Amino acid sequence: MRRIIFVLLLLAALHPLSFGQTGQKAPQLALKDLRGRDLRLSDYLGKVVLVNFWATWCPPCRAEVPDLVKMQREYKGRGLRVIGVTYPPQTAEEVRQFIRELRINYPVALGTKETKALFDQSETLPVTVVIDREGNFRELIEGILLPEEFEQKIKPLLQ
Amino acid sequence: MRINRIAALLGLIVALSLGALSARAETKTATIRVEGMHCKMCSASVAKALQATDGVEKVEVSHEKGVAVVQYDDQKVTEAKLREVINGTGFKAVEEKSAGD
Repeated sequence: MRRIIFVLLLLAALHPLSFGQTGQKAPQLALKDLRGRDLRLSDYLGKVVLVNFWATWCPPCRAEVPDLVKMQREYKGRGLRVIGVTYPPQTAEEVRQFIRELRINYPVALGTKETKALFDQSETLPVTVVIDREGNFRELIEGILLPEEFEQKIKPLLQ
Repeated sequence: MRINRIAALLGLIVALSLGALSARAETKTATIRVEGMHCKMCSASVAKALQATDGVEKVEVSHEKGVAVVQYDDQKVTEAKLREVINGTGFKAVEEKSAGD
C-alpha cells in the first residue's frame, strides 16, 4: 500500500502542472489591441480581469457582448476589467466594425488558436477566463457568462 | 397502537399533500426548433442557458437536428420564456406553425 502511495505521489510530482487550477498564476498574455496599444496581462495586476475569447461569427459570443459592455461600465470602479480576444478566422476590419456597432468599451485584440490554448485547450466559444487581483487564475466559464455566474464567481472577487 | 395510528395519519397527510402538489405542477416537454446551431459548442451554449432557467428540469439540445427538447415545470416557466432564453443565446427559436396556418 505504501509503495502504491509512493508511486502515485512520484507520478503527481513528475506530471507537469496543467493550466486550469484555481490559484495558479495566469499565463502571460501579450498582444496588441486593435488600436495598436500593448495589451499585457501583467499590466492588470490589482484588477479582476475577464479575458473573453470570442468571434464575430459565433452567435452566443455576439449575444454575450452587450452584457460584457455593461459589466465593464458598471464595475470598472470596483476594479473589473474586460479584455476581448478574438478566435480565428477573423479579420481586423470585421472586428472593428463589430466594436463600433456594439460600442464595445474594452480593449479587443486579434487572437490565434494558440492564444486561446494558453488558457483553454477546447474549441468552445465563448470562453471567459477569470483572473483575480493577484494575477491568479480563478475560473474558466464556458458558454455565455450568465448573470448568476457573475454574482457567484466574479462579484465576490470585487469586494 | 396509538403511535401506529399517528404514523398512519401522518402518512396519509403527506400522501395527500404530494398528490395535491403533483396535480398543480405538471412536467411538460417542449420540442423547439432552433436555427443557426452548426456546432457542438452552439448546442452547449443553448443547453447551458436553458438549464440555468428556473423551472427547467431536463434539457437535450442537438445541433445536428437543430432541436432543443426541454422538460419543464409549467408552473414556473412557459414555453414562450424558453424560446426567449434560446433567442438570448444568439440563435433563433422557430415558431412552429400549426397545420391550419
